[in-house]
Amino acid sequence: MTSYQSELGGGGGDVAEELAKGQRAISIAEFFEKNKHMLGFDSGARALVTAVKEAVDNALDATEEAGILPDIYVEIEEAGDYYRLVVEDNGPGITREQIPRVFGKLLYGSRFHAREQSRGQQGIGISAAVLYSQLTSGKPAKITSRTQGGTEAEYFELIVDTDENEPEISEESTTTWDRTHGTRIELEMEANMRARQQLHDYIKHTAVVNPHARIEFREPKEHLKYERATDQLPSETEEIRPHPHGVELGTLIKMLEATDSYSASGFLQSEFTRVGQKTADSVVAAFRDRHFGREMAWTPPQPHEDAAVAAAVTEAVNGKGPDATDGFAEEVADAVAARERIAHHELIEVVGEAAERATEEYGVTFGATVRENAVAAAWGEVSAAREADLYRLVDDATTSRKDDAAVEAFARRVATGFANDEDDRDRVTRDDLASYVDRAADRTKEREDVSFGDTAREKVVEAVWEVCRTVPDDVPKVREVAGDRDVASELLEAMRETDILAPPTDCLAPITEDLVEAGLRKEYDADFYAAATRAAEVHGGDPFIIEAGIAYGGNLVDEGSTDVLRFANRVPLVYQRGACATTDVVKSINWRNYGLDQPGGSGMPNGPAVLMIHVASTNVPFTSESKDAVANVPEIEDEIELALREAARELKQYLNKRRSLEKRRRKQDVIADILPRMAEKLSEVTDREDLDVEDSLARIMNNVLVERRRENGRMGLVVQNHSDAGADLEVTDIVDAEPGDVTTRTGDGETAAIDDATVVEMDGEWFVKWSPRVESGGSAVLEYEADGGTTADVQVEGVEDAKTTINDS
Amino acid sequence: MSTDTDADPTDGDEIAREKLIDLAAEFYDQFADGEVPKMRVPTRTKSNIEYDEEEGVWVYGDRHSTRSANSVNGAQKLLKAVYVIDFLQNQLEEERSSTLRELYYLSESWDLEAAQFNGQDESNQLIEDLEIVSDVTREDFHMRPEESGATVMGPLHIREQTRRGEREIHCQEDVGEGGYQIPNNPDTIEFLDHDAAFVLCVETGGMRDRLVENGFDEDHDALVVHLKGQPARATRRIVKRLHDELDLSVVVFTDGDPWSYRIYGSVAYGSIKSAHLSEYLATPEAEFVGIQPSDIVEYDLPTDPLSDSDINALESELEDPRFQTDYWEEQIELQLDIGKKAEQQALASRGLDFVTDSYLPERLGEMGVL
Repeated sequence: MTSYQSELGGGGGDVAEELAKGQRAISIAEFFEKNKHMLGFDSGARALVTAVKEAVDNALDATEEAGILPDIYVEIEEAGDYYRLVVEDNGPGITREQIPRVFGKLLYGSRFHAREQSRGQQGIGISAAVLYSQLTSGKPAKITSRTQGGTEAEYFELIVDTDENEPEISEESTTTWDRTHGTRIELEMEANMRARQQLHDYIKHTAVVNPHARIEFREPKEHLKYERATDQLPSETEEIRPHPHGVELGTLIKMLEATDSYSASGFLQSEFTRVGQKTADSVVAAFRDRHFGREMAWTPPQPHEDAAVAAAVTEAVNGKGPDATDGFAEEVADAVAARERIAHHELIEVVGEAAERATEEYGVTFGATVRENAVAAAWGEVSAAREADLYRLVDDATTSRKDDAAVEAFARRVATGFANDEDDRDRVTRDDLASYVDRAADRTKEREDVSFGDTAREKVVEAVWEVCRTVPDDVPKVREVAGDRDVASELLEAMRETDILAPPTDCLAPITEDLVEAGLRKEYDADFYAAATRAAEVHGGDPFIIEAGIAYGGNLVDEGSTDVLRFANRVPLVYQRGACATTDVVKSINWRNYGLDQPGGSGMPNGPAVLMIHVASTNVPFTSESKDAVANVPEIEDEIELALREAARELKQYLNKRRSLEKRRRKQDVIADILPRMAEKLSEVTDREDLDVEDSLARIMNNVLVERRRENGRMGLVVQNHSDAGADLEVTDIVDAEPGDVTTRTGDGETAAIDDATVVEMDGEWFVKWSPRVESGGSAVLEYEADGGTTADVQVEGVEDAKTTINDS
Repeated sequence: MSTDTDADPTDGDEIAREKLIDLAAEFYDQFADGEVPKMRVPTRTKSNIEYDEEEGVWVYGDRHSTRSANSVNGAQKLLKAVYVIDFLQNQLEEERSSTLRELYYLSESWDLEAAQFNGQDESNQLIEDLEIVSDVTREDFHMRPEESGATVMGPLHIREQTRRGEREIHCQEDVGEGGYQIPNNPDTIEFLDHDAAFVLCVETGGMRDRLVENGFDEDHDALVVHLKGQPARATRRIVKRLHDELDLSVVVFTDGDPWSYRIYGSVAYGSIKSAHLSEYLATPEAEFVGIQPSDIVEYDLPTDPLSDSDINALESELEDPRFQTDYWEEQIELQLDIGKKAEQQALASRGLDFVTDSYLPERLGEMGVL
């Protein structure tokens, strides 16, 4: 800059021209080079992850849209100084005409304008990967695609023409391909495998969140396959029109320019979701108030003063003859007096009607000029009492404690606001009105030292605005609105201020609770899984659904903090974990409440668990274009918390139950260890025969005890329920010889109910099966005839193992 | 139980052993019936002792706690109990004896780790449990405390049945200045003859030595029993026997603080932990000499202020059924009022002979002992 300044001193007037020399169109390549961090291509390691991600996202979107279960192949191999990335899908394929643009033109895509949940949105991802490849390796992207039913596949080699942002095709041919339909892209780029972990995470997490997809991943060191866990495709999403609360000014202007509608109301109804006639009317009314303002309606002069209106009108009318003039004037005066309040446009109406009547009656024409004069004269009288009128309004709206003189002065100053306005129709917008009130309040503070606070001011504005009349003027047509930014902004404000139903949610495809769980189950070998899908909510006009899942225990790593899997529209978020709203929410929850370890009681929980969070929305708010982290939108954070807590409650129940069973088992272990030793010692001390402690043990553990008993050629099983709840059991005795007569009986009292037993023979073994219900404290005897040498093996189901004691000897 | 001493000692041992085996048989039967083995013992707390009008001593009330195999803790306690029963009955059979501390260490040698004691409190408590449920005293189990060593000095002639034969001892003439050492089981002693007028139990060693040096036992025909702080069961037992068998009045001379009143209480009323043996150990007729709070005022003794724990102890004594008499309520309230306590030795502020020449003769005169 200094050099230009010195030249300025020299009197040169060509600075602008000097500067202009340096001003030129920026090529897409330069733009990319400068902004590649925003797009996720800032390092070789990261570029590879981003390229895989973009290609896989496209592949999943394409297959799902066509209703095909995705079968995706990803390969990374070393190719000399570069890495070669191949991604194949079994999607519907891309037509020959479209291929170059899809891959060779930035910002080309089907998604950007659609309000529908989808993985990609900007149409920037895959072509950015092509651009990155050509810039680093100089090699073109190689695309093969075969549409369904197509006899041959199309083959292209292309790059992005960075000056024009158009595809530049270097080879185009047809080829054979073993897939019947699908798309394959091959890129060569400067890259490295330093982000191997992130790559693996990305693929694995994709598999978790897309349980309907089969993914194969081959990289120089590993070859992994992720099988499909369900044949159920995500539900198809409906594209919705934008919601009035979710658009920004630029978008609105674009929509106004593009619409076929003529009126604002028609535009609103045809271009937005959730807008019908009624809602459109409300928005238009609000728009009208903003655009034109309202007209203040004053209390007309009281009956004893009405001569004033008549006199003024008489005065204003010339050359119509005394009868007609008086009749007309009286007519106007009466009509005015009959109204509680009257605004300027209402007065015009009144004068018009009186003029018509007078013409009929007296045969004298009251033309436009006469009418205008009459209106002006009558309005002068009506608005003369502004001060008194405002005083009443202000007095009612403010507290009675205010000094009367101050209120009067304040009302006078507001009236002056109206009087000083250029528009003598007393037409004001709410903002104008607020400024009159503010000025009056400031003055009153200054002069009378009485302050009207914000609440009082707001109340006064509200009271006056209430009596103002909406004007009959027609709101600007769509074309005018589109052409004037300020007017468009008024329409936008009107849209935002109107209450409108939340958008419909069929534009979203949540994974659903069952499949969240299935996905976790498929990729994580845990003891427990829980999932929660919340109902749809709205942020800034875009609907969204939050889902959460938890896997716990099993083979999950016990040390260090819990893994958090983050997803937006089924796409795993790999980078910038710390900047993500999901992470913030996880850290804010007190996980100790839910049975997870959390050092210090806040922050990331520890332990063998995986947390999963999925944000599905027509517009996921990201912190940047590289789409790595969800922005901190309060509505979304609240829902994330609720979803996590919902799933965590299940975890807590599971852990509590597990702990209590564990405690029980430990107790049983200890007591089962102690009792026999005690019995042994007792036999020794008392010098009596050995004791059997199973019965006492079952009683101590409140268990269901099943004991074998043999006597008199009968084999029996005695069931005693020492627990405090009834037990529905399935007792199966597997016998090596054919059992004779099978009988059952209950113990003392009506404490058990038993259906007849069944006997089934299988490979020389007989399965004798009873299904008794034994009440708490009750017992049952299950018996059959058997030889002395018969052996049998009993199995008991219906009660947890820890709560059963079987004495099968 | 004292009658056992006259018979052949092995007879008493045999009875004790049978009682232990009966207890084991009870557990055995509970197992055999498929029940949960359990043992009921009285709750050993201040709130569960009541006055036995007939015997004039404090005994356990009706509240019991149950040690049941229902819980891990209860099962472990019962297991230990059974192991201890086995050990004791063996010990009796072999005519051996051991100390409480030895029992604790001995458990370490048991094959089952779960039966071993975690601390000596646990084994001591278990022995008390067994005393209560089997109705056999610890001494009859041949269990003795680690320290005995309380002494008697005075005109008393006894015969002691020792492990090394009978010994006849005169507790003034045959002993040194230390006096006669009371054995762990005083029921092995036979009283032959005496010239004693009364029994004077003294809390501290310093005061006991002062009395002996000043010849108080000779001058007044007193049997001076050294309590050594909270008296051991053997000490309390011999005091009880001296009172019951020789018809001697018993007086207790301690410091003037709440802890010392408890020493008196355990001699006179029995301790909370051994209330099941009160009729065997307590001497309800024993009277308190001092130092009384009123002595502190009367003799203007050098004092220390009451600490918070002293005050708590005094207040807790006011709620203790054993101290709910007019005398004690008056004395304790006075002490709380003046906020002071004094040791026995504080009497030395008026000269070394003051206690033997003035204080004791005056107090004992008032009490009608001298």
